[in-house]
Amino acid sequence: MPDEAIVARELAKRYGRIDALHDLSLRVARGECLGFLGPNGAGKSTAVKMLVGLVRPTGGAADVLGKPVGDRATRARIGYLPELFRYPDWLAAREVLAFHARLLRLHDAARAIDTVLDEVGLRERAGDRVGTYSKGMQQRLGLAVALLGAPEIVFLDEPTSALDPVGRSDVRALIERLRARGTTVFLNSHLLGEVERVCDRVCVVDRGRVVAEGTVDALTGATRGVRVQLEDGWREFDCAPAEIPDLIARLVREGARIHAVEPNQTTLEDRFLALVRHA
Amino acid sequence: MKAAGNVLLFAGLTLRELVRRKLVAAVVLLTLVIVAFTAWGMHRLATAVVDGAPIAEPAVRGTAAGIVMMLAFLFSFVIALGAALIGAPAMAESIANGEILAVLARPVRRTEVLLGRWLGTIVAITLYVAAAGGLELFVVRALTGYVPPHPLTALAFLAGDGAVVTTAAIALAARLPALAAGIVPALLYGLAWIGGVVQSVGLGLGNVRLADTGTIVALLFPSDALWRGALYALEPAVFTAVAANANASGAGVNPFAETSPQAPAMLAWACGWIVVVLMAGIVAFRTRDL
Repeated sequence: MPDEAIVARELAKRYGRIDALHDLSLRVARGECLGFLGPNGAGKSTAVKMLVGLVRPTGGAADVLGKPVGDRATRARIGYLPELFRYPDWLAAREVLAFHARLLRLHDAARAIDTVLDEVGLRERAGDRVGTYSKGMQQRLGLAVALLGAPEIVFLDEPTSALDPVGRSDVRALIERLRARGTTVFLNSHLLGEVERVCDRVCVVDRGRVVAEGTVDALTGATRGVRVQLEDGWREFDCAPAEIPDLIARLVREGARIHAVEPNQTTLEDRFLALVRHA
Repeated sequence: MKAAGNVLLFAGLTLRELVRRKLVAAVVLLTLVIVAFTAWGMHRLATAVVDGAPIAEPAVRGTAAGIVMMLAFLFSFVIALGAALIGAPAMAESIANGEILAVLARPVRRTEVLLGRWLGTIVAITLYVAAAGGLELFVVRALTGYVPPHPLTALAFLAGDGAVVTTAAIALAARLPALAAGIVPALLYGLAWIGGVVQSVGLGLGNVRLADTGTIVALLFPSDALWRGALYALEPAVFTAVAANANASGAGVNPFAETSPQAPAMLAWACGWIVVVLMAGIVAFRTRDL
């Protein structure tokens, strides 16, 4: 069994004269959670669609779970939540899941369906038609469909776009559970805070090209110094992380009244904006 | 076996959608209204009194035969429209609204999805033809005693007519939006009918070019050839003989009558046409990005 869940080699997609994705090369280890970031039109969804076999590359190649993208048997081991999630509104959620369970040829479909309904918090409304669902509930159903059959890798394309803060928090917890189980997660999201919290590694694309890749710490830079809120406002102090306790003790000794202390760290959002604006 | 199972799964989904979206209920209701009107008309025909005496039975049957052919003509248009309006959205809407994305990420072939949608629509149209057509013919027989010469053959040809339009709609929907994929086959159906009339007129007048034009249209879109097969199966022998005599004597051409059964070669062509167009649809669907 290969150690890498995804290997993309110079994957490219052109629509006429437009480069939707240009030479995407990346590796995602099994069990890893990769955040795939980029502004609108950067080629994120195109990349995901190529990796699940919905869009044919015009260049390069990719393997998913050791097989070329689109391999039919491998697709039984993949879960996918599309950005444009939509399920037949005349079916009940349980019927949608039963249909997908038949496509997957799951043996104990009823139990698998109950499990994913519980995972996404839809069990109580599972008998209702999708047409009666809010957008957020439909996205939860999409997550349930993606998780059906305990896939080894899950592609989530903007999984919280229709969710309220509670729903977003639920999805973060869900992704953490998936990571704990060893499921590989390919998370395509605009919500940088979300990515920062749950992803091991981040890949930033802009205008079809990878502009940065690495762990969140590597991209944002190590913590350097602290911001301290004093009576007269915030002040920044440049020091190594190990020097922070001494700095605070000294300030207190000198009579400063400290209201808050926070690491002076570049956020993923700062770094992301710098990358895509610079590009 | 898995492939066949998936095809049946998508066919079943198509049929379930028609039921759930209340289309079946609406069609059943409308059909019953039409059958009720037919029954009322046939009853009036059978019990009509002319010059103080009831109409003779042969005359009643002859009139009923004419009405049945006219109803079949209108019915064929309803079938064509139904096939286009059911077949095209069955494919195109799920592509346009994104429903297909999560489905095609599963271990399923695009060919299976398209064939399933096609089969589901064909089954729906065939059931409609059998039920509505059979009910109409039953009512006519019960009230006037008239039975067309080959009712089952006629219904089979009408179902074939629907199959041609369904196939075109599904194949086009693999690439086009639902509206275009539905309207184009419906228009082609109308054009093919005009082509059939042109062919009849050409044959009647001995104008080879005119007749050939109609033949070419029939080859390109064989719905009218199948409709004419249905028409011939519905015509009493005397109708056919009168139309044939009129053609032969140059007394006039009746483009709404058919004087000969459809050639086996034409039927084989229609079947081959369905297979080729379906294959083209499959290729179009397999090679498109979603």
